[in-house]
Amino acid sequence: MTAKALADAAAGSQPAEIPQEARDKARELGWEDGLIELALEKGHSLQVVWQALRGNVDGKQAKDFLAGGEAMVRDFAWMKVPTEWGIRARASDSEMGLTIGDLNVGTYGDIPDVWTNRSEIARGSFPNPVNEDMGYTIFDKAIIWADCVVPLYEVAIRDRWVSATDLRWASLEELPDDMERAVCQFLTEQSDRAYFTGALWSGWLPEISYGYHELKFFLSTVIYDLARHSEAFRKRALSNGGGLGLQAPTDFSRAAKEARSFPELAAILFVQDSMLLTLFKNGDLIAQNQLERDMYALVARDRQRMMDYHIERMKHFLFKMPDRRDEQNLYLSKAEGRMVKDWADPVVSEPLALMLGGGRDQMDPGQDKLRALRKLQVEGYVADLAKATFFRTHLNGRFQELLA
Amino acid sequence: MAANPITESGLDLSWLNLYDDPASAVPGKKGLTLKEINLGRYGDAARGAGDMTYRMRGAVARPGAQRFGPTYMSKSDVWSENCVMLYEEATQRQWSSARDIPWDTLQTLPDEIERAMCQLCTMLTEVEFIAGDVPGQWMPFVSSQDFEAGLFLMSQIMDEARHTDVFRKRALANGGGLLAQGAGLGLRTLLEARDFTEMSVLMHVQAEGFVQSMFRMGELIGQTDADKKIFRMSAQDESRHLAFGVMHLKYVLDTEPERREELHHYLDKAEGDAAGGGSGDVTFPPVFESLCILLGGGVDKFDEGLQKFLLLRKRQINEYVHRLTVAGLGDRRDRLGPLMAQFVDPI
Repeated sequence: MTAKALADAAAGSQPAEIPQEARDKARELGWEDGLIELALEKGHSLQVVWQALRGNVDGKQAKDFLAGGEAMVRDFAWMKVPTEWGIRARASDSEMGLTIGDLNVGTYGDIPDVWTNRSEIARGSFPNPVNEDMGYTIFDKAIIWADCVVPLYEVAIRDRWVSATDLRWASLEELPDDMERAVCQFLTEQSDRAYFTGALWSGWLPEISYGYHELKFFLSTVIYDLARHSEAFRKRALSNGGGLGLQAPTDFSRAAKEARSFPELAAILFVQDSMLLTLFKNGDLIAQNQLERDMYALVARDRQRMMDYHIERMKHFLFKMPDRRDEQNLYLSKAEGRMVKDWADPVVSEPLALMLGGGRDQMDPGQDKLRALRKLQVEGYVADLAKATFFRTHLNGRFQELLA
Repeated sequence: MAANPITESGLDLSWLNLYDDPASAVPGKKGLTLKEINLGRYGDAARGAGDMTYRMRGAVARPGAQRFGPTYMSKSDVWSENCVMLYEEATQRQWSSARDIPWDTLQTLPDEIERAMCQLCTMLTEVEFIAGDVPGQWMPFVSSQDFEAGLFLMSQIMDEARHTDVFRKRALANGGGLLAQGAGLGLRTLLEARDFTEMSVLMHVQAEGFVQSMFRMGELIGQTDADKKIFRMSAQDESRHLAFGVMHLKYVLDTEPERREELHHYLDKAEGDAAGGGSGDVTFPPVFESLCILLGGGVDKFDEGLQKFLLLRKRQINEYVHRLTVAGLGDRRDRLGPLMAQFVDPI
């Protein structure tokens, strides 16, 4: 760096007081008292002085330079850190483009079983010798990981949709009052649940360390999906002569909120997410028009990704930590019990029965169809658990009755 | 066997009579957005008191609903007048780092330039990591009465994931790799915030503002069309985050002017920490040096790069002061930390 360059760079800067932090750093580096002032008098900006201090220019170098010596030579030590170099990641699937999976080459693709760095370091970069602890609490791959998050992250981005413009709002036609109220009550509950679950997952993000950034990316898409579901349901409830009804029951959601660990959280949400996936996959049964059919189909597509994660995570977790298999029964029992309580609420079941039956005067056949739908949901849930290599020995009695 | 209460019960149907004011939002020019449904008792103007449940604004309260822990009770704690519009804009402007960046325009660069770009990307990856965690940390405290602010934060979490991934992709796509971890980037300050407004002014206004000013110099920093597009697309997202923060700060100052000194206090601390670099500090030597190399065009043009770097700092600080002024905190100009004050243009 030449003196002229420094002087030029300083031009236009305002005179400023010298921060104590700069004085302390100068003392640490052996700068004589008054050397900072001398640099400023010679026209060097405070910023440039600060950069010299941050660059660990010692007192002798600084003094020599200010006495008219040669420009200081920078060693650019960061250019020489021993990370893997020469990486040219390429898209393995031209339709998907350059995915995060394509980056997992060489050491950059080494996803460790235990991540030990407590900072926000990017996996594969060169660590500082000393770092502040950023407060992460989850460092075990076995607890959180599923290989599918790597491709699912990019699929989620590819399959994004926009409630404002991808649903044909102008196509809505008036429904009978009881039917509109049923749709709106159902969507009030679902909007509430989606928003809550998005907020819940969000709160867990800062707990997860950055050895597993692909998982954090994937969870970000889940959170964003849930935001969209919440607002799409609200929009539908407020656009066709209805309104928001009674807020959702709180028993199941409280169980999820009460989770004290990631495996507990995931086990509890496994129950809800499996049940809701089946519900929305069968959205045609409750949809009253094309807009609702489209909306439920899009929601189901998003929810399939969430469920794929749940299944693979649990399978991986049980494989890696078989001693924790029985413990999962505790969380699943709690979640099933709370779900039964929510399902038994007439404000949850009756709107579904009304939609399935076709009106208020068709509640009996509607309840028959609801029983069939609930059976389908529980069958799907048991099948999802089986895919995760988990077999419930004591499925909730009410669920068991549905399967009988 | 007793009837299964899941599907068989005496009919109640009381939920059919909960309201008598039908809502019929009509799509506007941009479709059916949150703006169109922000009406009547469902609108933010009709916000009721929070109840620490997840009852969405306008829904009927359920007797016996359990609380979920503390959430902000006052609208001014989290609200921003533009969050309704910003959320919808976010949904319309999502992009894909995999397919929307012209990766095929990458070309072999001189080694020192590639290393400088990779060092910058390494640092930005870390910055964006934290920018995703921070709104996540606060989401559980945002009342459903102000759900649009929550939706916006959830869209920000998505944006930051994409930014993190795109900078990692860039570092690993052109014959380079990740380099030195950042240190003293001032990022922990963002996680240390203990109030939403404190967090927002530090992250949205200060940190993302500085990053935004840098991204807007992406035409000078980027060496290829792919690089330049990465900065352009990321800047577009950062503009939303920044706009949320500026308007949130304005809302707080308009509705709770007694908080002015408290907000100055947060900024006094943040501008003092990292000696004025702020969060996402570009004065960290490897970042400073890599920026000088990229802006100058090589190690041998470091001095030219340094001058452009100082222009970048000047731009960052003056835009920061301008944004604070727009938000109603124009007196910050007279209280800036010394390493920022040196760059402020005279009025």
